[in-house]
Order: sequence, then structure tokens, then C-alpha cells
Amino acid sequence: MGDDGARNIVKINKGPLVRTKSGTYKLALPKDHCEVLTHLITELRDSLLTTTDDASLRRLFPTAYHNDAKKDAEYQRLMREELLASRLSSIETALMVISSSNELSESEVDAFARSINSLRLVIGTSLDIAESDFSDSSDSDSEIPDSNQDELAEQQLVQHELYDFLGWLLEWTVSAQSEGL
Amino acid sequence: MASASVQPAQVLEPDVDDATKSDKPWIVIVWNDPINLMSYVTFVFQKLFGYSLEKATELMLDVHHKGRAVVSNGSRERAEFDVYRLHEHGLWATMEHETS
Repeated sequence: MGDDGARNIVKINKGPLVRTKSGTYKLALPKDHCEVLTHLITELRDSLLTTTDDASLRRLFPTAYHNDAKKDAEYQRLMREELLASRLSSIETALMVISSSNELSESEVDAFARSINSLRLVIGTSLDIAESDFSDSSDSDSEIPDSNQDELAEQQLVQHELYDFLGWLLEWTVSAQSEGL
Repeated sequence: MASASVQPAQVLEPDVDDATKSDKPWIVIVWNDPINLMSYVTFVFQKLFGYSLEKATELMLDVHHKGRAVVSNGSRERAEFDVYRLHEHGLWATMEHETS
């Protein structure tokens, strides 16, 4: 598991999501962060509406019966559409959360957290994130080839930044939600 | 009038292995993955199963260090429900018959 959510990146010293005394939540993200999130989540929604079979989305639709292919096929036949509908519903709520200045409910923040985590799963899968990638942020930096001209390396650098940003945001979100348990 | 058949009726022998298995509860397993945050996994265990922070942390650490942890058990329907909720939250969960 990864544990670098709040370590690798520091965008804001204070958490962007706070729980109020009445049990609601307030999200305060800079405009550029909201724009990035909206873009990423919209892209994820469009991907899900196109297909759920893409390799980058495989972590969003895991196997249920790891030692029984027949039972798993039946489970997927019955549950995959429901899981897709749930993810799309969470995404719509997350988009509302990002654009809203109102106080947020527990269920809205929950949908937001699940969508942020879905994005991390997709980006982490495409980056082929491994356990060792979390040992030290400087390690991953040193693995990036010294070829900033290389378009692929630059894309990966951006993906890593986004991945870290989402981890940071999710860590704060979980921290705020945990106050309500 | 047709005479009574002298052929033995076909008897379906019960699959002893299946019958034995059906008596056993199902277990829900969460597997380690390098992407999900430890804090997030702990929170999901607390939220979905009502575990204390200590219990949820213990399970999370089992997942992290041992590669897997059994987080719930029960009927097949219950296990499928739990697996579905864990999948909704992005955790890598599967189910199987309890072996012991």
C-alpha cells in the first residue's frame, strides 16, 4: 500500500477539506486545482462511458472470485453494470462538490473521496506504480531518465505530479472524514 | 400396456465436496496493492464494517505486510455484498470458501 499521500507533495499547509461542528464539510481548493480535478474526473467519466475493458481501468472492476472463473463470470455479469453506475454517480457528485461553495454532506464527501481514489488507481496503474515507489520521493525522481526532452518522460513526470497531488488530497479528505467516525 | 422398466433409476450422487463446501462460510479477502493509501484503507474498514481504529489498523497492516487479510465472513450473499462495497471504494477484494 502507498503511504505517501501527504509526504511527497505540499500544496497547501492547511487541509483543503474541513469538517464543521455540525458534521458538514467545507472544501477550499485553489481555482487551478479545481480545474485540474474537473478535467481529470471528466476524462475518467468519458473513459468509463466508452468502455470498462481498457487495461488502465482494470483496477476499477476487480475480480470477485479469484479461484473460480465460472462464479466470477456470473458475478461480473450481474454486478459490473451496477458498479459502473455507482462509479458514474460518484463522479457526478464529485464534479458538483468541486464546483460548489456550499457545505457538503457526508455522502457527497464520500463520493468525492471514492472518485479521487478511482483517479489514483487509474493513474497509478498507467504508471505501473510498485510498492518500492513509496520508499522515498527522491528515489522515484532519480529513476526518471535524464532526458527532459523526451516527451514520454515529461508525460510521466506530469502523471507522477498528478498522482502525488491526488494522494495529498485524498489523505486530507480521509483525515476530515475520520473525525466523523 | 408398457411393462415396468427394469432399468435402474438414475441416481444423482451428491457431490460430497460441494456439499461440504456449502456448509462453510465465505470469507472476504482484501489484497495488498501499491496504490491505495494506508489511511484510506483503514478508513474504509472502519466505515464499512464498523471496526474500531485499532482493529481496522491491524487489518490494514496485515494487508500491507502479509499481502492479504480476511475482513469479513458469512453467507455467500453477504460476502458478495461486502466484496461489492469494497470494490466501490477501490479496494482489491475477493471471496472464497473458508478452508478450515
